[in-house]
Amino acid sequence: MARDNIFVGLEIGTSKICTVVAEARGDGTLKVIGVGNVPTRGVRKGEIVDFDTAKRCVHDAIADAEEKSDVEISEVYMGITGSHIRSFNNRGVVMLEEGREEIDGQDLEDVRANAREVSLPIDDCILHTIVQHYYVDGQDGVLNPVGLLGKKLEADFHIVYGIRTRIQNAIRCVKELELEPADVIINSFAAAQAVLEKSHKQLGALVIDIGGGTTDFVIYVDGAVKQSGVLAVGGDHITNDISIGLKIPTARAEKLKIEEGDVTLATAFPGETILLRDETGFAGREVEREALNQIIHARLREALQIVKRQIETEQSLHYIGAGVFITGGCSQIRGLQHLASEIFEMPVTMAHALPMAGVTSAFENPHFSTALGLVKYAYLVQTDHPTSSGFFSRAIRKFSGIFRN
Amino acid sequence: MVQLNRHYDREDNPDESIAIKVVGVGGAGSNILDRVMLDGIDSADLVTINTDVQSLTASVAAHKVQLGRTLTRGLGSGGDPELGLAAAEEAVEEIRSVLQGGAVVFICAGLGGGTGSGAAPFVTRLAKEENALVLVFVTLPFSFEGRRRCTQAEEGFARLRAYADAVVCFENDRMAEITLPRMGIHEAFAAADLTISQSIRSVAHLLQSPGLLHIGFDGVCKVLKGGDARGLFGFGEAEGENRAHDSLVRALKNPLMNRGELLEEAYHVLVHIRGGTNVTLGEVQIIMEELNRHINDRTQLFMGIGIDPRMENRLSVSILSSLGENIAKPGVAEQPNHKEDLIPGPMMKLMAPVGVVAEEQPVGREPVESEEPIAVQPEPPVWPPVRSAPAKSEPKVVPSVPPKKAEAKQETLQFEPVSRGRFEKSEPTIIDGQDLDIPTFLRKNIKVRGE
Repeated sequence: MARDNIFVGLEIGTSKICTVVAEARGDGTLKVIGVGNVPTRGVRKGEIVDFDTAKRCVHDAIADAEEKSDVEISEVYMGITGSHIRSFNNRGVVMLEEGREEIDGQDLEDVRANAREVSLPIDDCILHTIVQHYYVDGQDGVLNPVGLLGKKLEADFHIVYGIRTRIQNAIRCVKELELEPADVIINSFAAAQAVLEKSHKQLGALVIDIGGGTTDFVIYVDGAVKQSGVLAVGGDHITNDISIGLKIPTARAEKLKIEEGDVTLATAFPGETILLRDETGFAGREVEREALNQIIHARLREALQIVKRQIETEQSLHYIGAGVFITGGCSQIRGLQHLASEIFEMPVTMAHALPMAGVTSAFENPHFSTALGLVKYAYLVQTDHPTSSGFFSRAIRKFSGIFRN
Repeated sequence: MVQLNRHYDREDNPDESIAIKVVGVGGAGSNILDRVMLDGIDSADLVTINTDVQSLTASVAAHKVQLGRTLTRGLGSGGDPELGLAAAEEAVEEIRSVLQGGAVVFICAGLGGGTGSGAAPFVTRLAKEENALVLVFVTLPFSFEGRRRCTQAEEGFARLRAYADAVVCFENDRMAEITLPRMGIHEAFAAADLTISQSIRSVAHLLQSPGLLHIGFDGVCKVLKGGDARGLFGFGEAEGENRAHDSLVRALKNPLMNRGELLEEAYHVLVHIRGGTNVTLGEVQIIMEELNRHINDRTQLFMGIGIDPRMENRLSVSILSSLGENIAKPGVAEQPNHKEDLIPGPMMKLMAPVGVVAEEQPVGREPVESEEPIAVQPEPPVWPPVRSAPAKSEPKVVPSVPPKKAEAKQETLQFEPVSRGRFEKSEPTIIDGQDLDIPTFLRKNIKVRGE
């Protein structure tokens, strides 16, 4: 029997499926009471490609978390990613009818609905509609227009959408395990919840979550989501590059990446090698450290540059005051901070989730940022936390369209 | 069927190759010289010049000159370039006599100390006065050796550049890269000496050996003089199936090359491919095409090919260039005038008759002819293929031809099957027309030293 104050975040990642169980405590904080973590199979670039295998893995991850937290999980907040997820900013407008001047809650709904009236490809559906700014009669800087007087209400929204069927795959996977998906949140938002403080969002921050299969990013400016995106390149690509470049099996490449990977060039002494021990099916050999670093460097530099290019289209980079926050499993590669600050030309923080009570080891690990962010998000949405400036509450979306099937 | 070039009007020593002298100045210079000696160099006079009698005695060179007999009395110059210079001035006649008759003089020295920084420029000047072509190879001190030494080295370097035709500079800091950290210090220094010795030997070779596509001294000069005379040098040798690729990779791996990255900044690049009689057109093509990726469009490429049966199955690639600050004014104007007095008679022999050797080339005729349309175009300084047409080379013409810009690099299509590895079956991630599933280093043609 699930308790009301229990929040479960489920991230079906490319390399691991992570379930975080957290409990809302009376003092308004969250306590993590269990983290389930199993390696994934059947997921590529953040999307399920082998349904049955992935389902088994999700089952294991849920079971793992249930066992560790001693909670029966019935409802989960799901993280979602994939190259099909796109976003744009749109402005909605409503005119108040004659004789009425006070803006009420219904107007907010209307302006949101108005902004959502865009022609999307037929297969796509909207995941998030997040408000950025309100304007009342053209006046800027309105935080909450309810109760204000005006004739015209406008609002800028950040709208995230994706291909319906591909989003449903993940949802169906959870549903078939007799779990109820409470909400679907894109990974970058979740990661941002975990690693950013409110002041960071106000100052402006770029969060990059480099995971196994995808790199998700989101930019906050003035406390609101300005831009977000998904790049289907992640740690798997690095492993694959190493495997091809050094001609070693993928499993070895993965291990090598984790143990020895570094993006800094010209730090290895020429001819410095790393010995790969022989094991079954693999005759041991030496690989050049510089070669390894070059491969990783090339890939990550490219990925970060693509992210930068995508951001530059909106010139959001100028508004980032708090710097870049990099998280996700891949952020553990050595030297990435330096590379990123070189590319973005601003301070870069290698971030993991902000501390919460409970299983502390989970916060120190950038692997779990997204899953932790999911519970945080869920908690904020559910409790409509007053400090969240109302944006989360407004971000609640009804997934009726997606869930009914 | 040796053909005689009618411009071969030099009667003096017609059968010998040009007289090369290798001079080591100072302690570091004589170490390099020993290395050159050990590695073996064809028909060159080795001369050690030093203030320090001890090191002079230990040297294996045939000719030795002691500097400052009365000034330093057999001791070193104590790190004082003034003293080094004064000591050299004292022995001016002796130095002159050993330099006499050298058409090409290589001077090697370690800058930073007294004799190297002080005497080497003086020796260079004397060599220049003997009307020789002077190529100087120097090492710059490690930065940990202190500011003072570095300043002395820089001063010495500036003076050398004033006299020498070209100065190739090996920074010890960068040389340290070629050695493994756990290697003994003597081995580390030996490795540095080896690199310099390789450079000297391969330039000497380039000048002396008959070439199929020959590069004359003018080519060498142009390449080295174009920039601020910071030399780039790479040498690689390999054998086996993949020798073309391997030798180039090795040449580029030379620390002075910074893996070929520095080549991009060079204005002139000289490549000399040397191999046994079985060098194929395909191999030359591989090397040149790969090299083309490393240089930029306006770079002038000098290509030389030498066939030397002694190489047997080995293939070597030497790359010579200099980093230029003053790329904008491409030393063209001054080059020809210089040339007149720079190239003394013996130099004309550089393009030795090659008919014989060429005939043995297994790939037959068209390879040589079709060389031009390939990646590079052998610009004027490169001798036209002298395969059967007798004596068509016109030495005098060469220097006066204004160097053209290199032809635009040929775009190479990727023919190798692109591999997406584990993403083979997944939906491709295409951004800006690039399939991101293909390893970045493959798409960007980043040379990775793997296996």
